[in-house]
Amino acid sequence: MRSNPAAAVGATGARAHLPARRRPWRRDTGTAFLFLLPLFVLVVALIIYPFYRAIWLSFTDKLVGYPERFVGLRNYLYLVHDDGFRAVVRNSFVFTVGSVALKLLTGLAMALVLNVTWRWRHFFRGLFLLPWITSTVIIALTWRWMFDAFPGRGFFNSLLIDLGLLNHPIAFMATSDGAMMAVIVANWWRGFPFFGVCYLAAMQSIPVELYEVASVDGAGTWRRFWHITLPGLKHIMIVTILLSFIWTINDFNIIYVMTRGGPGTATQVFATYSYEVAFNQLRWGRGVTISIFLLPLLVVSIALVSRYLLREKDA
Amino acid sequence: MRAWKALAVAGLVAFVLIILVPFWWIASMSFKTYEQIQFATSIYVPRPFTWENYAGLWMDTRFPLWLRNSLITAIVVTAVTTVIASLSGYAVARLKFPGREAVASLILILYLVPPALLFIPLYRVLAELGATNHLASLFLSYPTFTVPFCTWLLIGFFKALPKELEEAALVDGASRTAALLRVLLPLAAPGIVASAIFAFTLSWNEFLYALVFIQDERTITVPVGLNLLIYGDVFHWGQLMAASVITTIPVVALYMFIHRWMVEGLAAGSVKG
Repeated sequence: MRSNPAAAVGATGARAHLPARRRPWRRDTGTAFLFLLPLFVLVVALIIYPFYRAIWLSFTDKLVGYPERFVGLRNYLYLVHDDGFRAVVRNSFVFTVGSVALKLLTGLAMALVLNVTWRWRHFFRGLFLLPWITSTVIIALTWRWMFDAFPGRGFFNSLLIDLGLLNHPIAFMATSDGAMMAVIVANWWRGFPFFGVCYLAAMQSIPVELYEVASVDGAGTWRRFWHITLPGLKHIMIVTILLSFIWTINDFNIIYVMTRGGPGTATQVFATYSYEVAFNQLRWGRGVTISIFLLPLLVVSIALVSRYLLREKDA
Repeated sequence: MRAWKALAVAGLVAFVLIILVPFWWIASMSFKTYEQIQFATSIYVPRPFTWENYAGLWMDTRFPLWLRNSLITAIVVTAVTTVIASLSGYAVARLKFPGREAVASLILILYLVPPALLFIPLYRVLAELGATNHLASLFLSYPTFTVPFCTWLLIGFFKALPKELEEAALVDGASRTAALLRVLLPLAAPGIVASAIFAFTLSWNEFLYALVFIQDERTITVPVGLNLLIYGDVFHWGQLMAASVITTIPVVALYMFIHRWMVEGLAAGSVKG
């Protein structure tokens, strides 16, 4: 490019002899403003404004059908002392930590398996992503039925009874622990392909020479994995854990459709409880406060993950 | 070495089973009669095979209406999203202006704001606009998550396109808009199509906003309709499964086209499906 004077003029010369005031930096701002205007309007009107109203609403006692009154921190104090809300916090963390941990391990296994698969790797990778693109309502439906107590509908009961491992069907969904396990399994099934595909991509960008040198030095498979593969995955692991944490702790669809938060409050989490309070109890003030409790954690997680993601984008 | 290889094959088989068994369970149930399900006959492979659930679903329930609603919503939202995301993505990727990095970060952050936080105040705002109980509420609210995602996708995509053609057009005296339309659009077509398919899929599968903003049974979308069928008093399991199969087919079909983008996007460590 440099040796071709015509091209040089085209690419940089046309701008270089413009006065500094009229450099492209200024010229583009008007166009950029115009192009970004729709996004700006959308964001302000439908994200920032409702967000502001949510904060305001949490300081009121808004009950549907009645005018709202400012009550300060009453909603927050109520929830802190509410047993139901404490159960929600506990359940949310059990659900989130349990699913994310399982998804991480399974994703790692999936990446390892696909990494060494030579034939039809793309096909299998595509196949394994199917749960990720399926509607979560349908996934919740599916797993609700997989765990059903009736052998005609419940896959696990059918299989275990047919194999002779079980005499009576287990009513998974009717017990607290069973229901929590069922929703974790559904969330895991839906989510581990995301981890798997990310880790596979990261593994494939680890230079092969590192492995070759290690083999020559006599390192076995396990040591190569521990000292080369895992460190190479560190960055993507942090990103996937953070992203999945944010998504899972705010999950509504799977739990709502599978259990409605039950039995009792056994699987009630932030999002489902917020819905329950706001739309079944009609208490908007308290309902929105439930979601806001997650805000500090959310802000920290989002700040962390953006830093990691943007850092990688520049690299 | 043999041991590791056997383990890998076993792992592959295990994953294939884990992924496919749930789909097959639903599909096989959709071909069974009510009696077959109720009396647990021919559990694993339905014999005889029946299409009555699909027929019943189409003629006896509101499913066709829900399908229409989901389709209209997805098409409108995809159109709106594609326009806004293309303009915004191009601006951030190609134009130079102060605050560009801040806008890029903002888009990422907005994408991560959970709907579970916004749904209550959004309901209020939409109710005040008179949009609740109409599909319009979805036309307005869905872009809040489709646009940030698709913009992020297109930023990455536009950045990867070669600059030379655009700059050549500019030297020829074209304005920025003309450069965009004439030169970049043909090149950008695959990315824009992928972004549109993502927007369609996100819109098609969405549940929370559709549940909260629309109550009328004739105006709801498919996911909300399915949820209603599950908890109704009298529900036909076979039809429910048939509905699930029908609902999943368009997404899987579209997915074949965007599979490559999805994996590349996930590989870049920055997107959600």
